[in-house]
Amino acid sequence: MAVAEAAPELLSPAEIDRAFRDPFSPSKRTKATSWIVLLAVLTAFPLVFTNPAVTSIGVFTMFFLLAVVGWNIFSGYSGYISIGHAVYYGFGQYTVALLIMHLGITSGVSELAIVPLAGLAGAAVAVPVGLLVLRVRRHTFIVLTIAVMFIFQLLAFNFPSITGGSTGLNVTPPPWSGNDYNLPFYYIALGTAAIGLLTSWAVRRSKFGLGLLAIRDDEDRAKGLGIKVTRAKLIALVLSAFFVGIAGGLYAIFIGQVFPQFAFTPFYDLYLAVFAFVGGLGTLSGPVFGALLLGPLQQYFELQFGATTLYLIIYGVLFVVILLALPRGIVPSLADRYRTFLASRWRRAEERRGVEGSGVTAGSMIASAPGAAPAERGGS
Amino acid sequence: MLVLQGIVDGILAGALYALMGSGLTLVFGVMEVINFAQGIIVVLGAYFTYTFASHLGVDPFVTLLLTIPIMFTLGYAVYMLLLRPIKRDRVIMSLLVMYATAVVIEGVLDLIFGGTLVEVTASYGTSSVHLGSLDFPNVYLLAFGLSAVLLAALYWILYHTKFGRSLRATTQNLTAAKLVGINVDHVSALTLGIGVGLGAAGGMLFGMTTPFNAASSYDLISRLLVIVILGGFGSVWGAGVAAIVMLVIEDVVAVVWSPVWGQTIFYLVLALVLMFRPQGLFGRRLARAQ
Amino acid sequence: MKSRQLIGRLWATGPRRRGAVLATAAAVAAMAAPALGAGTAAAHVVRRDALHGVVTIGASVSLSGDFSATGKTTEQGYQAFQTWANEHGGILGHKVVFKFLSDGSSPTQVTTDYQKLITVTHVNFLVGPYSTLLTKPASEVANRYHMALVEGIGGGPSVFEAGLHNVFDVSASAVYQGISFAKWVAKVYKPQPVAYAAITTPFNEPIVTGIKNYLDSKGFTTAVYKVYPLETADFTPIASAIAATHAKIVAIGSQPPDGEGLIKDFVSSGYNPTVLFEVSGPDQGTGFVKAVGKQNTTGVMWPNTWYPGANEGVVNTEMEKILEKEIHVKSVSLLSANMAEAFSAAQTLREAVDHIKSLTNAKLIAYMHSSKAKFTSVQGPVCFKSTGQNACATPFVFQWQHSKQLQVLPSTAAGSSKVMNPKPKWGQSKY
Repeated sequence: MAVAEAAPELLSPAEIDRAFRDPFSPSKRTKATSWIVLLAVLTAFPLVFTNPAVTSIGVFTMFFLLAVVGWNIFSGYSGYISIGHAVYYGFGQYTVALLIMHLGITSGVSELAIVPLAGLAGAAVAVPVGLLVLRVRRHTFIVLTIAVMFIFQLLAFNFPSITGGSTGLNVTPPPWSGNDYNLPFYYIALGTAAIGLLTSWAVRRSKFGLGLLAIRDDEDRAKGLGIKVTRAKLIALVLSAFFVGIAGGLYAIFIGQVFPQFAFTPFYDLYLAVFAFVGGLGTLSGPVFGALLLGPLQQYFELQFGATTLYLIIYGVLFVVILLALPRGIVPSLADRYRTFLASRWRRAEERRGVEGSGVTAGSMIASAPGAAPAERGGS
Repeated sequence: MLVLQGIVDGILAGALYALMGSGLTLVFGVMEVINFAQGIIVVLGAYFTYTFASHLGVDPFVTLLLTIPIMFTLGYAVYMLLLRPIKRDRVIMSLLVMYATAVVIEGVLDLIFGGTLVEVTASYGTSSVHLGSLDFPNVYLLAFGLSAVLLAALYWILYHTKFGRSLRATTQNLTAAKLVGINVDHVSALTLGIGVGLGAAGGMLFGMTTPFNAASSYDLISRLLVIVILGGFGSVWGAGVAAIVMLVIEDVVAVVWSPVWGQTIFYLVLALVLMFRPQGLFGRRLARAQ
Repeated sequence: MKSRQLIGRLWATGPRRRGAVLATAAAVAAMAAPALGAGTAAAHVVRRDALHGVVTIGASVSLSGDFSATGKTTEQGYQAFQTWANEHGGILGHKVVFKFLSDGSSPTQVTTDYQKLITVTHVNFLVGPYSTLLTKPASEVANRYHMALVEGIGGGPSVFEAGLHNVFDVSASAVYQGISFAKWVAKVYKPQPVAYAAITTPFNEPIVTGIKNYLDSKGFTTAVYKVYPLETADFTPIASAIAATHAKIVAIGSQPPDGEGLIKDFVSSGYNPTVLFEVSGPDQGTGFVKAVGKQNTTGVMWPNTWYPGANEGVVNTEMEKILEKEIHVKSVSLLSANMAEAFSAAQTLREAVDHIKSLTNAKLIAYMHSSKAKFTSVQGPVCFKSTGQNACATPFVFQWQHSKQLQVLPSTAAGSSKVMNPKPKWGQSKY
C-alpha cells in the first residue's frame, strides 16, 4: 500500500497538469485563438475606422496598452505598485528628443528607428532607481516612487542647458500628411505591445515569473525559499521600464515636443495603475482590457462631455462603480462569475443524471469551489 | 538673518501642512487607507469657507462651525458607502476608490465654481508682526494657532476618551480590536470623518494663504503624502514634525540657493530617509502581516 | 454591499440577460462610432472651402485640469468675438459659429481635439488653445492639414522654434514682452544689480530672461535670480531672498497668485524697491487691488498687450460691453487679458479672410505671411514675421498710479502717460 500512496509523486508534470486543470477555464487553443482574433481586430481597426480623430485615440490607446503591459510585468507580478513609471516614460521622451536634435535627424523613418534607444534609456535608468526604491515595501514603496518621479521632473527643470528647462524641447515630427500620420505610430506601438505581451507571457511561465509571484504573496517566505528577491524584482523592473521608455519615445515624436511637467507626470502613473487594476492586476489579459477599455473611454468622454465639465463626474462615478462591482478587476472578476455559472450548470446536470459514483477528481473539486479565487491569478 | 527668516517661514507654513496632513496620517493608521482625496478635501473645505464667508459675511474662522460638521458627515458617509465594501487589496483598492472620489468632487467643484482662482480674504490678511528684523505674517500666525489648537484637541480625543482608546487599539491591532468587541467599522468611519474634518479646517487656512481652484488639489496631495510618509504613516506627531522639517529645509534652500532646488531637495531628503528608515521618522515597524 | 450583490446577480442570471447586456453595449458602441465621426477614408477628405451657410471656427479650450481657470476666459474671449462678429455681418457675410472641444489641459487631448475639429467637425478655420504648452502640439496637427492656426495665447519660444509656417501669434511674443521695460531701465538708471525671479513656465521665464539679457548687455549685474516651480506654495522665502539684496530694480516673471503673494511679502517685510515689474498679477484688475490693498498698488509695473478700458477704439469698447453682459461681471476692470488675446486672434483671422474673400487656408497662410498684410486688433496692430510672431506688436508697459491702470511705455506711443519713478514707498501714496 505504501507504493500506492507514493504513486502521485510519480505522476509526470503533464499528468499533474491534466489532473489539476480547471475544467471550466478555456482551453489553450481557445486562448490562443482569442489572442489572434484580438490582434486581428486591433490590426484591422485603423483600416476600418480611418478617420484621424478616431485613429488618434487609437494611437494614444496603443501607447497606453504598450506601457500598461510593461508596467504589469513588474507591478502586476511582483505586487510592488509603482506610481513612478513616468520616470522611464520621461527618460524615453528626453532621449528621443535629444538624439533627434543633436544628430539632426529629419526623416520620419529614421526618427522612429531610434525609438528602441528610448526603451534602452528607460531600462538603464531603472537600474539605479530600482536599487534605491526596491529597498522598501508596500505603501512606502508607492509614495517613494512618486517622490522619485518628482525628483526627475524637477531635475528636468533644473538643468536647462541639457533639457531646455521650462521651455522644453522641440521634436520635429515626421513630415507626413494628416491622413497618414497616425498609422505608423499605431502599428509600431501595437507591434511593441505584442512583443511586450509575449515577454509578459514568457515571464509568467518561467521560474523567474514564479519567483515574482512568490514575492507578491509573501516576500519573506520567498526569500527563505532561496529566491534572490532583489535581483528578481530589479530584472522585472528593468524589463518593464524598457516598454514604458518606448512608449515615451513614440509619444515625444508623435506630439512633437517634450516638457518636464508632461514627461514626468503623476497622472501618467496613476493611469497605468488604474488601467491595470480595472482590467485585472497581474493577469496577462487584464491590463490589455483595462487599457483598451479605459484609454479610449477617457478621451471619448473628454471629447463628448468635456465642454460641459460633466466629464470628470461621469468618469469618476463610473470608475467607482467598476471598482466596487468588480473588485478584482474586469478579467478575473468576470472569469470567476463565468466559472461559477458553468460550475452550477454542471452540478445541476450531474444531479439530473443521478449520482453515478462519487468520481471526485481534483478538477471537479476545484470546480465545485470556483468562488475561491485560485492562488495563481495569472491564469486568465 | 536670511536663514533665520527662512526657518521662521518654514515653521509657520509647516504647521499648516501638519494640520492638513494629520487627517491623512490618522486615517491611514486606523484603516490602512491612503486617502488620495485629502487634497481635494482641503480644497472643498476652502470652498465652503469661501462660500459661507462671502454669502453670510462672517469671519472665515466662524465658518468652521458649519464646515467641520458638514465635512465630518461627508467623511463618515464615504467610509460607509465606499470603503467598507472593499475586502481585498485594501491598500491599493482604497487608494483607487479615493482617487475616483477625488475626481468626482473635482468635477462637482469645477461645475459650481468654474475653475477661477479664488481666495478667502480677511481684513487682517496683509499685515504682519515684526520682531527685530524677522516678520511673522498674521495669516500664518493665525494658521499656526489654529493648527496647534486643533492638533491639541485631536491629541485629547486620542488619549483621553473612550473613542480614542478604541481608535488606538484599532491602529495597533485590527484583529485584536475586533476580538475585544470594538465596532471597527464605526471607529473607522468616525476616524475618516475626523480626518476629513481636519482637512477642511486646514482648507480654510489654505484658502486664506493661497488663491485656489479645484486643480490645486493635485499639488497638495503629493506634498501631503510626502510629509505623511516621512513622518511615518499613522503617526500624527510624525506628520507634524515632518511637515515642519520639510518646509524649513525647502524654505532655507529657497532663500540661500534656489526655490526649484528647494523642492528637489525636499524630495531627495524623503528618498534618503526612506532608504534608511523605511517606516519613516516616527513610524512603527510594520508588525502587521501582509 | 447591496449594490455589489445586485450587480453580481445581474451577471449571474444567465446567458439571456448577459446577452442583453452585451447587445446594449454593442448598441452603445455603434451609436458612439458616428458621434466620433468614424467614417470611410473618403468622408474626411473634404473641401474645407465649402460653405454651409455658416463659417465655423474650431478651438480646443482647457475646461478642466491645471489651466481650467484661464481656459474658461479664453473660451469667453472667443464667444464674445462670435457675438460681436455676428452683429457686424459675420465673416464674408456668413454667420460665424465657434466649435469648442475641451482638452483637460493635456497635450494628448489637444492632439485628438484638433484632429477631430479638422476631420470630423470640418471647421473652416482654427484658433489656438490656452498656453504655449498646448499651442505647440495644436500647431503641429494644423500643419499636417495645411491649416492656419491663429492664436493669441501661446507666445513661448518653443512655438516658433519648430519652424512651422502655419502658426500666427497675434500677441507680443514672450521674449519681446519685457523689452520696452528693459530699454527704459537702461535709459533711466545707471548699471547696477537687478533682482530677478521667474516661475518655470515656457512663457514667463523667457520674458525675464529677455529683460536680463538686454540689461546684462548694458552692464547691469544680477543681484539674485530665483527660479521657482509651479507648485510653490509659500513665496516668503523668495521675497526674503530678494529683499536681502536691497536691489532697487526688481523684475519678476510671475503669474497669479504669486505676483500678489510676493508683493504682500515685500510690503510686510518693509522692502521698497524703486522699480517693481511683474509679468502677471498686477494685470488682474480688482483682484490685484483686493489682494495687495489699494495703498500698495501705486508704482507697480507690468507688461501687457491689453488692459480693461484700453483706449483701442470702438471694437474694444464693444467687446468689453459684450463680455460684461455675457459673463455678468460687475465691472469692466474684472475682465482678463486672456479674453482680449483670444478675441484678437479671431479678429485678425476675420480681417484676413474678409480681405482674401476665400475660405481656403492655403490662401490665408500666404496672405498673412505677405509683407503688405497688416491688421488691427483690440490689442493694437498685427503683422507677422516668417516664424509667426507678431512683428508689429507694441510691448506696452502699464503702471498702477493712484488706483488707475495707465499705459506708460513706450513713452512715444499714443496714449502713454509719464512713468512714476521712483515707485512710492508701500502705503505712502495717495489713492
